[in-house]
Amino acid sequence: MSKLSKGLTLAALVSSAPLALAAEVNVVSWGGSYTESQMKGYGNPYQEKSGVTVNWIDYSGGLGSIRSQVEAGAITWDIMDVYAKDTIVGCDEGLFVEFDFDNDFPAGSDGSKASDDFFTEMPSKCAVGNILYSWNYGFNTNTFPSSNEPKTIQDFFDKDKFSGTRGIYTGAMSNLEIALVADGVPAADVYSYMDENGPDRAFAKLSELCADDGCWFWSGGAQPPEALVSGEVSMSTAWNGRLFNAMVTEKSPIKMVWDGQVLDYEYFVLVNGGPNQAEAMKALQYFTGSEGLAGSAKYISYAPFRKSSLELIQDPWFEGPDGKLDIMPHMPTAPANTKNYILMNGEWWADNETDINDQWEAWKAGL
Amino acid sequence: MQFCLKIFLYINWRNHLIVTNPILTSDGQLLSVKLKKAESHKRRTAFLLVLPLFLFIVVTYLLPIGSLMVKSIDNRELFSFLVNTNESIHEWDGTGLPDETVYTAFYKDLTLAVANKKQGKIATRLNYEQSGYSSLIKKTSRKLKNFTKGEYKAQFIKSDKRWGKTEYLLALQKATVAFHGRKYLTTFDLKINSDGDIVQIPEKKRINVILWLRTLLVAVGVTFSCFLLAYPIAHMLATTKPKYANILMICVLLPFWTSLLVRTSSWMVLLQKQGVLNDILVFFGIVADENRLVMMYNMTGTFITMTQILLPFMVLPLYSVMKTISPSLMRAATSMGSTPLYAFRRIYFPLTYSGISAGSILVFVLAAGYYITPALVGGAKGVLISNRIAYHMQSSLDWSLATAMGTVLLATVLVAYWVYNRIVGIDNMRIG
Repeated sequence: MSKLSKGLTLAALVSSAPLALAAEVNVVSWGGSYTESQMKGYGNPYQEKSGVTVNWIDYSGGLGSIRSQVEAGAITWDIMDVYAKDTIVGCDEGLFVEFDFDNDFPAGSDGSKASDDFFTEMPSKCAVGNILYSWNYGFNTNTFPSSNEPKTIQDFFDKDKFSGTRGIYTGAMSNLEIALVADGVPAADVYSYMDENGPDRAFAKLSELCADDGCWFWSGGAQPPEALVSGEVSMSTAWNGRLFNAMVTEKSPIKMVWDGQVLDYEYFVLVNGGPNQAEAMKALQYFTGSEGLAGSAKYISYAPFRKSSLELIQDPWFEGPDGKLDIMPHMPTAPANTKNYILMNGEWWADNETDINDQWEAWKAGL
Repeated sequence: MQFCLKIFLYINWRNHLIVTNPILTSDGQLLSVKLKKAESHKRRTAFLLVLPLFLFIVVTYLLPIGSLMVKSIDNRELFSFLVNTNESIHEWDGTGLPDETVYTAFYKDLTLAVANKKQGKIATRLNYEQSGYSSLIKKTSRKLKNFTKGEYKAQFIKSDKRWGKTEYLLALQKATVAFHGRKYLTTFDLKINSDGDIVQIPEKKRINVILWLRTLLVAVGVTFSCFLLAYPIAHMLATTKPKYANILMICVLLPFWTSLLVRTSSWMVLLQKQGVLNDILVFFGIVADENRLVMMYNMTGTFITMTQILLPFMVLPLYSVMKTISPSLMRAATSMGSTPLYAFRRIYFPLTYSGISAGSILVFVLAAGYYITPALVGGAKGVLISNRIAYHMQSSLDWSLATAMGTVLLATVLVAYWVYNRIVGIDNMRIG
């Protein structure tokens, strides 16, 4: 064998070697401190344990990208972190893998089978629970010192008592609900109220709030804390974990209110025909296991979806900047925080989103 | 003299030849034929050289656009799931409720769909026609196994009372056609009512017409403000000394090379309530601290940012035209007694028409389809039709509607182009 061909063979061997090792899983989530908590909580531990590289990709919700990937036959995502309504629509569209729940997911650390261990039934066969989070509102403590601070969801809508621009979510989801509750509809009845009477009352309430440039609309989870700190808005709705992160980790002058918040579940789905489907399924089993879900609670104040994970959480659990602290009182499931809350109805949104959204955008355009 | 005579004779002979005998080449073939051959060879070579570009345009541009246009009227997927229903539901006159045959046929279709796990697709597609269908189909699908033979109408209505509502059945009737153009009506906030007339949708849901008008307004406005800003810049670029002109040119091009996202975000930093501009105004006491200007998350923000981002597209064509205008023309005009303003108006300005029109059409077309900037800085009132298209692509997944809107946008741009061609003539366009 000549020197040249020896060299070539060696080069071929070397270049083919990394290809064989490159087991990886691509996970799509919402970015910022949330993705970080997932990465530290179960992504990196899984990577160390299994040797499979876990890549985290940011997105801001919606099924458009994955549907285009599927239609084009070039799927690059394996696991997605989605709203309940999107697990329903995506499952219907055949974008996600349907689970055989108790066979596919391990029993809890206390031995209870998966379907009993998770807090609720899944909204679709393609969903596996991840966290419970909530849509709270926060305010800047420099604008509203403790002598005059908003305490209820009515205060968020009271512009005479508490002035300043309000930040609300760019879509109708969560906004209609809090508007109705602030207007006096009992939190448990918001969806049945809208089924009977339509959403007009909620729109009227929001019109009062948002008239004359009174509202600023956010679309990414990191935006509300930023806008609160910069003073762009005086109050804003936000995901509770993001507010908590701004308050505790970044020590921003923000306070959040536990009244009339929308409690919602968040789910993982497995993309049908993803590039690493088998590896992704294994990763998903680890992520949503009792320890995995408890792990992410070390880094953000979202409640794990499994009952057994809550039992794993010990008193100082959260890895704060000044040492560990107790995370349980900051969870959206903590008894003190759930005195008056709205439970998000994903199925209602899957049904009504198209209709509501037209009205929502028309309403926004007419502000 | 003799030489002249020779030439004269030669010309005579040649004329004679042309009239009577065709010219032959050395190998005895007709010259005209041979010439044609040589030219067709050349033409073929030219065509082969263009072929890659042509194929590229066909594959990456014309085919996708064509398939998108088809998508906007294509309902075959849903239609294929409802073959049995299709046979009977169109005989129903749309009043009251259809009879047993329709329910029986739909039962057959749904049973088949459930067996093939396609009920979800039926659910989402029907939900575009009538909100509530998403859960209705799934609920009914789950209960389907408990249905007994016969009396399907009663069983459907028993399983969910929505099956007894005319509007749901009407939506089903509308949805069971292979192709329909209703999405184009939706694009303009119109719909067909139960009498078959085209009517406007309820006022509180009219959004698309507002956005179309706003998009046109912004596109025209941005084009005009780009023109106002770019004209002096281009003039300066074309007339100053080369060493200054180069620096100026870099100033024009530098933002052009910077990422769109970066530029948009920088404008957010500048314009927001607690932003640099407001801080300066407050510092100098021009505005009070509690009355900071709202320049972001509204039309103002969209307008300012889009104007800055699209400015180079106006400067460059103007510059390339102005560069060719000889400075002596203006000197000649003034030397003949014209005021500078008059000379500018009568001599210089008309000569730049081709640049203005080229820049305008470029900026207009780009502005009409702008997406990222309005999405980031537009807030509630600054979003454009492209953001709506994106919503239907990404969120509602009603791709038929999204493609119908896209087609209308394309048509709008083509109309603008046609008007431009009629007024200016495309041959007069000078881009660079």
